[in-house]
Parts: sequence; structure tokens; C-alpha cells
Amino acid sequence: MTARAAPAPLPPATTVGVLGWLRKNLFSSRGSGIVTVLLAVLLGWVVVNLGIWVLVEADWTVIISRAPLYIVGLYPYEGYSRLAICLLLISVLLGMSWRAWPGPARRFAFAFGAVMLFVGVFPHEMAPEHRALLLLNLPFIGLGYVLTPRPAAANPGRLEAIAGGALAPALERIAIFSTPRRMVIAAFVALVLIMILILGIAGVPGLDPVNPADLGGLMINLLLAFFGIVCSLPIGIGLALGRRSNLPILRVACVIFIEVIRGVPLITLLFMSRHILPLTFPEELNIDRVYLAGITITIFSSAYMAENVRGGMAAVQAGQTEAAQALGLRGWQTTLLITLPQGLRNIIPAIVGQFISLFKDTSLVYFIGMLDLVEMGRVSVQGNQEFIDNGREVYLFIALVFWVFCFSMSFISRRIEGALGVGRR
Amino acid sequence: MTRLLYVQGVPIWRNVVALRWAVQIVSAVVVLSTIALFLLNVAREIEARDIPFGFTFLDRAAQIPIGEAVIPYQPSDSYLYGLVVAGLNTVRASVLGVILATAIGILIGVARLSPNWLLSRIALVYIEVFRNIPLIVQLLFWLTIVLTLPKVAEGYVFADTVFINNSGLYLPWFEAQDGFWPWALITAIGLALAVYAFRRLTRRETETGQQSYPLLAAAVIAIGLSLVALLILGPLAIDIPRIEGRFGRLQGGAQLSGSFMALLVGLVVYTSAFIAEIVRAGIQSVGKGQTEAARSVGLSGMLTLRHVTFPQALRVIIPPLISQFLNLTKNSSLAAAIGYPDLVSVANTMTQIAPAISLFMIVMVSYLSMSLLYSLIGNLYNRTIRFKGA
Repeated sequence: MTARAAPAPLPPATTVGVLGWLRKNLFSSRGSGIVTVLLAVLLGWVVVNLGIWVLVEADWTVIISRAPLYIVGLYPYEGYSRLAICLLLISVLLGMSWRAWPGPARRFAFAFGAVMLFVGVFPHEMAPEHRALLLLNLPFIGLGYVLTPRPAAANPGRLEAIAGGALAPALERIAIFSTPRRMVIAAFVALVLIMILILGIAGVPGLDPVNPADLGGLMINLLLAFFGIVCSLPIGIGLALGRRSNLPILRVACVIFIEVIRGVPLITLLFMSRHILPLTFPEELNIDRVYLAGITITIFSSAYMAENVRGGMAAVQAGQTEAAQALGLRGWQTTLLITLPQGLRNIIPAIVGQFISLFKDTSLVYFIGMLDLVEMGRVSVQGNQEFIDNGREVYLFIALVFWVFCFSMSFISRRIEGALGVGRR
Repeated sequence: MTRLLYVQGVPIWRNVVALRWAVQIVSAVVVLSTIALFLLNVAREIEARDIPFGFTFLDRAAQIPIGEAVIPYQPSDSYLYGLVVAGLNTVRASVLGVILATAIGILIGVARLSPNWLLSRIALVYIEVFRNIPLIVQLLFWLTIVLTLPKVAEGYVFADTVFINNSGLYLPWFEAQDGFWPWALITAIGLALAVYAFRRLTRRETETGQQSYPLLAAAVIAIGLSLVALLILGPLAIDIPRIEGRFGRLQGGAQLSGSFMALLVGLVVYTSAFIAEIVRAGIQSVGKGQTEAARSVGLSGMLTLRHVTFPQALRVIIPPLISQFLNLTKNSSLAAAIGYPDLVSVANTMTQIAPAISLFMIVMVSYLSMSLLYSLIGNLYNRTIRFKGA
């Protein structure tokens, strides 16, 4: 038998560069290649058709001509500058967060500034003073940034690098939000101011009260979600502690409350609150449906929040409790000083997740007759003969608005998870 | 006098047992009186403001039209029966939705993990787009799409049997004939035999290592028996939808109304995005070493997935999956916004002439029992998968 020479082996497939990447990720086998080609064709078809529809066929007048309705509802035109000032306050807060927590907050500040710039210069009908107020947001973000000192751990930013040593002392002197406590106080003051600006105070010139029923559009979705989360946190903590307590009647009451609220759709709760909540107030006090919606959403959210808190506290290691007991802390001290704070740190991502789902759920307040963003869109389409065929444009626009908010929040939440080191510490 | 307050030399206000009892009693009194105060207050106001309340209306005639119904319904039927019909509509949407959403969610979740970059990216976009848009917006959008479909006369027709137009989707469907019940019985027996064979053969396979094809055998038994009975008994006829009458309305077959289709598509697309994430996380939770070990003892890719990865992933997947099923069921109440007669929608219509508070108490209790059913299933599953001997 003569040994035949083995055929020269083929050169190894490229694994680097563009070709290598393509081979590895798109054409690794025959099946994968077929899938890639089919999907590419499908994707191209969808993108081309969607592009043609968005740019050529769709009629966006239904959005542009009624833009304020989607954003602020029936809020009186005279009050628009007050709302713009609220945006300025938010800008300052964003600038502060950017400085104190450079990574994710910077993107948020950038995106916010970009939206303000876009709306401020977009060629549509808008009073010049409103334009000016919107554009003023950009310097206000900078203001918030400058008023906050650089966190000790962070490297000097580009601004400091350019300014060199000369400006540094001056920058340090004007940085008034130098402690976390001051930042929290600033945020709280800003929130109170925002509420005053939105609702107004009777008798103060320039701050004429606004009928709460006129609040609407995206503004009411954001307000309801925000206050729902903020108010439901303490109630949720209370319910979670009640559920963990060893007092049987209290525990059973908390369990029943939590499970009933979580077991029924929000829409039925809204309906019940429309009929039952007014009964718990005196008859002459004609409570507005905005507050009914706010109370219902808080109740709804607090049941879910309670479960989050409970989960977070359950995740705190038993050693922590044992150590606290060994040090002689009492039961309530152990809970308030050891278990609860660590449990709350565990659930920050869950709270953001709940904020997202609550924000989406606020689209259900149409059920008690409020004109939120979705209901505004529906009214635009079904209530106007001229826009009756523009449903697709309206709902796609609304979907885009919600999507941008929810997606950016879930993005931030993933960053927070990383920054807090949840699961690593 | 003060002597009496001492137990074994310890004053009663320092006695641990006594203190614990005192706290229990005080908390009980506070909780119960708060609840009682709230209920009494509401009851008094209901009386004072003359708000209708009570459940006597349930056996009166509802006089309300319900657009589609699984069981026959006329407006002269009672409120209670009307609510049952509406509840069945909710169940119909939820059951179909759960099945379809699970199937699509698993597909997307597996696609998300595909080594093919394009496929995994498209799955990612699907997930991130659909779970970040409120369901109600999606429902309104799908309803708009359904309503822009052409009229019955100009609608799409596939193979003269499937009709799609702005009144809905019409499919050929089965119609029971005389031999239906005997056939159903034989099919049920076949299924039972198939389950028995599957278990038996699986055990043989794991104990002896012989290839026994349990799934194949079970399928052959179940389908074969059912098919043979079908041919002999002829229990089912196929009812094909057709355009009839002066107004060209579609008759016969299975009819899925436009709002039902919009609801189903919306629920399935929305929920499947969440399920896909659950499936992805579940599969990723199985350690890489498991797959590597399975491959190194000679299992093929498919066998690894079926016998090693998937059973372990299921442990992680099932509990959140069940909570998604519950969410889907609760979300089906948004049907009220697009005109599908589900429980909430019908109850809302009934409130025009019946006591609203009582009606919605019934609705809430119905949803609560559905959610209890889901948690029961979840708990049973958790009990069966608990690590034995741990």
C-alpha cells in the first residue's frame, strides 16, 4: 500500500475583519445563511414601505395642528409660560444629576436638551416667548451642572480641563448643592414649585388657578405616574411591614388588601373609585376626577410596591438580622435600621420598572373621563370628521411618545442596577 | 391593689407575654374599627344619597344586546346570564391569547439567543418595541388597521374558504354530527392511553438507555385512534363560511369579529414580548457547564435542549410565565375600549340601568377567582418541581 499524500488542507476561514464577522454571525452554517437572507429581504421590505408611508403617504397635520392638546390637554393658553418655567426647573434638576452622576444622567440631559432645541426651532405656529422659554432650557441645564460640585470620585470633566486652575475656585464657590441633603431639598422645592405653577393659587397675579379637570395630555400621564409612585412608596412600605408582622389580624388585613388589588384589573378599580370614593367624602365637597384617578392609582401602585418591598427585604441576608439582634437591637430597630434600608436598596430597579408600568397604566384613566394623551388621540380621530382616516398617524405618534419615555427609563434602570452593584455586594 | 398587677414578682407592664397580647389586641381593634368605619360610612352614604344597591336585579331581563357570544344569548335573558356570557367572552379571549402568546413568546425568546446576529437583533427590537407601548394604544392601532380593511363584498378571500374583511375573520369550522359524543369518548381514551405509553416508554428509556421514542409512540396512539374513529363514525362536518342573502352577509363557519381580532393581536403581541424575555432569562439561567457536560456525554444539540437545558429552564420560566398569563387575563378587560363585549365592557353597559357598585363587585370577584385559579396552578407546579430530598 502506498501512502497517498493527504490533500493540502484548506486555509482556515477568516475570523477577523468585516468578512470574518459576517461569516461568524450571519453565515455560520447553511441554515443560518438562509435565515439571514430571508430576514434581510423581509426587513428591507418593511423599512422601505414604512419609510414611504411615514415620509410621503401619511398626513401629519392631525399631529402638528393639535400638538398642544396632546402635550398639555385643555390647559389654558395663558398658562403655557408657567408650564415652560416648570420645564426650566426640571432642566436645572437634570443638570444637577448630570454632574453628580455623570454616566446615564448625561444622556438623559442631552436627550432632554435636544428635544427642547428641536421643538424650539421647529417651524410651526408658536409664540416667540414660548420659543425663547424652551430654548432657555439649554443654559438652565448648564446652570444646574455648574451649581453642583464634582463628585469626589469622578475625574475632572472636560470643562475643568479647559478652564484650568483659574476658574476652579470660582466654580467651587458657586457650587451650592454640595451635599446630597441639599440636592434632595432642591429637588423637593422644585417639585412644590412645579405643582404651584401648574395648578396656580387663587388671588396671586399671574398664577390664576387652573381647573384640575383641564389638565390633560402627556402632562397628566406623567404627573399621575410620578405622584402614584412617590405616594405609594410609604404606603407600600407600611403594607409590606404589616404583611411581615406577627400581629395576625393586621397581617391578614394587609394580605387581603394586597392580593385583592393585585388580582383585579386597574380598570375595575377606576370604575369602583368613581362610584365609591366620593361616598367617603362629604357630599358638598365635589371632588375632581383628577384626584380620584390619583388616589386610585396610588392605591393600585401601593399593593405592587408592597410586594416589591417585601421581596427586597426577604433578600436581605439572615445574618444581618442576627447580627442586629446580637448587638441588642429591638425588633422594630432591626427592621427600621437594618432590614428596611438594605431591602429598599435592593428594589430600586424594581421601582423604576414599576414606574414604567404605572406610566403605561395611566393611559387607562380615560375610563373615568380624563383626557390623557391616549384619549386626546382617540378624540382627535373619532371626534373630527376631517381626521377620521388619520387613526394610524395618531396612534403611531402616541406609541412613539410612550415608547421613548418607557425605553429610556428602562435603559436608565439597567444602569442603576449596575451602579448600585445589586447582586454583587 | 398593686399586688394584683405583679406576676411572679414582675409588673404586668413589663411581662413579655402580657405585652404581646396587649399589642395584638390593640392592633386588632385598630384594624377592625378602621375597616368597619369605612364600610359603615359607605353604607350610610349609599342609603342617604339613595344610590341603588343590591343584587335582586340579577334575575331580571337584561335587555342589553351582546355583539358576540359563545353560548346562545338574547336580550330577554337575565342579567346573571348576560354576565356569564360576557365572562365566557373574557375566557375565550384569555385562553386563545395565552396559547398564542406562549407559542410566539417562546419563538421570540429562543430567537433572541440565536447565534445569528440579525435574527437575535430583530427579536430584540420586537421585544423592546412592543413591551414599551401601552396595550391600549396598541389595541386602538390594531382596531384602526382592522377597520381600514375592505368591505365584505371586496374583502380578501383565500381558497374560497377563509374570508378577511372589515367585519372580521371567517374560518371554516367543524359542525358536530350524530356520532360526535362516541368519537369524543374514543379520543379521550386514546389520549389517556397515549399519556400512559409516554410515561412507560420514558421510564424504560431512562432506566435501560434503549431508544424508545416515547413522544412518537404517544402521538401515533392518540392521533391514530382518533383518526380511525373519525373515519368510521363521521362525527364532524366542516362548515365553510359563505356570502348569503340580499345584503351579502357572511354565514357559517367560525366568525372572529374585528374587535376580537384586534384584541387578540394586541394581547398576544404585547404579552409575547414579556414572555420572550422570561424565556430568554430562563434559558440563560441554566449554567453553561450543563450544556457542555451533556454534549460531552454524547447528546446531540436537540437532545441536550430537550433533556438537559429545557427541564432546568422550566423551573425558572414557569412562575413568572403564570403571572404573565394572569396579566393577560386582566389586560383583556381593555376590550371595553375597542368594543369587544367582555366582562368589564358588558358590566359597564349594564350600569346604565342596574346598580353600578353591585355589578362591579361581581366583576371584581370574577377576576379575583380567575387570579386565584392561576395562583393555585402556580403553587401546584411549585410543589411538583421542588427538589426532592432537599
